[in-house]
Amino acid sequence: MTSSDRSSGDRSRDEVLAGEYVLGVLSLDDRRKVEARIVLDADFAAMVQRWEDNLAAMDEDYQPEAPPVWVFPRIEERLHGRAAPATAKAGLWQSIAFWRGLATLSLVAVAGFGITTMRLIERPETIELTAALTAEGSGVSYMSTYDIETGLFRMTPVASGAQKEKSLELWLIKGKNPAVSLGVLPQTGEGELLVPLQWRDRIEEGDIFAISLEAYGGSPTGKAQGPILALGSTKLIRH
Amino acid sequence: MAADELADLISRVALKDRAAFSLLYQRASAKLFAVCLRILKDRSEAEEALQDVFIKIWQRAGRFAAEGRNASGWLTAIARNQSIDILRARRPVADEIDTALDLADPSPDPERGAVLSAEGRRIESCMEQLEPDRAVAVKRAYVEGLSYQELADQFRVPLNTMRTWLRRSLIKLRECMGQ
Repeated sequence: MTSSDRSSGDRSRDEVLAGEYVLGVLSLDDRRKVEARIVLDADFAAMVQRWEDNLAAMDEDYQPEAPPVWVFPRIEERLHGRAAPATAKAGLWQSIAFWRGLATLSLVAVAGFGITTMRLIERPETIELTAALTAEGSGVSYMSTYDIETGLFRMTPVASGAQKEKSLELWLIKGKNPAVSLGVLPQTGEGELLVPLQWRDRIEEGDIFAISLEAYGGSPTGKAQGPILALGSTKLIRH
Repeated sequence: MAADELADLISRVALKDRAAFSLLYQRASAKLFAVCLRILKDRSEAEEALQDVFIKIWQRAGRFAAEGRNASGWLTAIARNQSIDILRARRPVADEIDTALDLADPSPDPERGAVLSAEGRRIESCMEQLEPDRAVAVKRAYVEGLSYQELADQFRVPLNTMRTWLRRSLIKLRECMGQ
């Protein structure tokens, strides 16, 4: 059923139900029913999301209170097991200000998008290229990693928005050469693709990854035609 | 919680970056703990709930960007939903979905709705247009996770009256903020 099939009575009823769910007044059983419907009915899901966005203004009433210090170690233990202390290199991501600074400083002129810097992280077991792909004014940056060993490029899942007939295409830009397509991200919204063999060893410092919105299945001409949604340039960092 | 910074951190958590997860916890845990405490009104339950909240954040971070939500709102919604679920499991309330909705107020005229929505009003100004006790009831329901019965008891009105109050208030808020 689409929203246009719905009578205005059904629509008010759905709006009220979505609002009741977000307020939190429903029973546990009703909450599960509503959540099942959110999965199946995109129009209804949009109503719920709008209530969440609208009512979130009342979140200001929650006055922050620090939880006991033992809680976070317990969370990590539940997620990763007792034997695995956090080994992630905090240094890399520690300075958000640094990242923000880079985002502002770098080549904002390119197609009007802010560019952040990719870094090559060396870990004992793998070498990964990590990038924050940002688009000016969106507030969201898409994080990506490229595993040099396996050629697997992964990024935060991104929806191509309402334009379901569109696809997201990944491009590699080397210097002043034209952008080369590295493939089309899966239509499911999962942000994973295998970089073609011939390009796997050729991604290096200064190269740019870009994501564009293209016709379904990718640009028919092999050249980026749609708008660039986000991009980021590479920089080699040794730890 | 600065939205851009939180959004960045959540995006990194989506890639299973544990350092980002730790930073996200530092930035967001006090706010989310406040949510759990306010709704559950029990410290040890809130401490358990907060763990579940961050485990869900770890598991669901990958959906964040695709959902296009404000980062702070996304996090708070996870904490509210978790706490309300625990509360409703602890003190079951009557099911509502199959009860008849008493929505006797006239439906909004679509054209009038369009005019109102063009103003893009914010929730605060729309709440002010509700009768004061109803606005308080809406706010308590949201902030504290109160059930219809608890609200009815607090306001000393029959359960059905409270249902009607809140449901009509929701319709008025939706009209005011635009369809």
